Amino acid sequence: MTTAAQTIQGLASARDLFALTKPRVMSLVIFTALCGLLAAPGTIHPVIGFTAILAISLGAGASAALNQWYESDIDAVMKRTSGRPLPAGRMDRETALHFGIGLSVFSVLLMGVAVNWFSAAFLAFAIFFYAVIYTIWLKRSTPQNIVIGGAAGAFPPAIGWAAVTGDVTLMPFLLFAIIFLWTPPHFWALALFVNSDYSKAGVPMMPVVAGRQSTRHQIFGYSLLLAAVTVAPFVLGLAGAVYGVAAIALSGIFCVLAWQVARSKTTEPKDMAAEKRLFKFSILYLFALFAALVADRMILS
Amino acid sequence: MSEIDQDKAPMSPEEQKVYQARQKHRAVIMAGLLIFMVILFYLITIVKIGSGS
Repeated sequence: MTTAAQTIQGLASARDLFALTKPRVMSLVIFTALCGLLAAPGTIHPVIGFTAILAISLGAGASAALNQWYESDIDAVMKRTSGRPLPAGRMDRETALHFGIGLSVFSVLLMGVAVNWFSAAFLAFAIFFYAVIYTIWLKRSTPQNIVIGGAAGAFPPAIGWAAVTGDVTLMPFLLFAIIFLWTPPHFWALALFVNSDYSKAGVPMMPVVAGRQSTRHQIFGYSLLLAAVTVAPFVLGLAGAVYGVAAIALSGIFCVLAWQVARSKTTEPKDMAAEKRLFKFSILYLFALFAALVADRMILS
Repeated sequence: MSEIDQDKAPMSPEEQKVYQARQKHRAVIMAGLLIFMVILFYLITIVKIGSGS
């Protein structure tokens, strides 16, 4: 028999359904998708452009809901995530699953009907990649999980681009590669100085599995690759001088900060100044780089 | 009483109040979203017709 508490739990509050979409992550998705859309050659009607960004945001929200549906056991044992609607017992898993699938289908259909079916298929693949390939398959089985998760977060600018052009060329691929290569140094810098209980939850995070020093060297390695890919659009003539100057300056600083991390031997989180600096700068880096890309396109056109 | 209802334990007046308040809040938000979607689809249709002609 269903208890009264279960009946109430079955009717999740609107606030908890909204929390299930991870609104804070969504803000970065909206920003990068918008930059991809604005940087693409060609024009898009503002209403269609708005709808494209809305569909991408809803798709990201749907992925987050499906992620939390599957990961409620992990979320329950980690302090940072134990207050989420599912582990806190404010919602049942079935509701989260239905909400995630419903929102996925709606976002893809909205994109297809209002924008184009190529970007709709792209969005469907991005949701599938995050929910199934990353969350269900690889997150618990490899310490490179955050690299794969980074790929899921790297789709929005390419989908924004595809909303305007209807295809994917070298430039949106490079935008994808930038976020893909940015994610490991950004996340691992944080993972070094914040104890997120991942080992308790059985998730093989790099600092836990490979150790701090190996993680620091990998941060530097990924930063060099990131710098090369970031400068590529300018070198290949796909972006102008505004972007070129910003890319070289920002990547230079990023590599210097990553080098300081690679040389650090600190074991106490409170002394990890280099890691904290890199983490803070990595957020500014991505915002400034994409803003420069849009500014460059605006000036050129 | 239906079969489904028989499967559910009865709620206390306080629980019923919480349940109904949640239902009402969700209904208001759903109505707002539906109105937003109607306006959005109207605008999308106008743009599509405009670009098609």
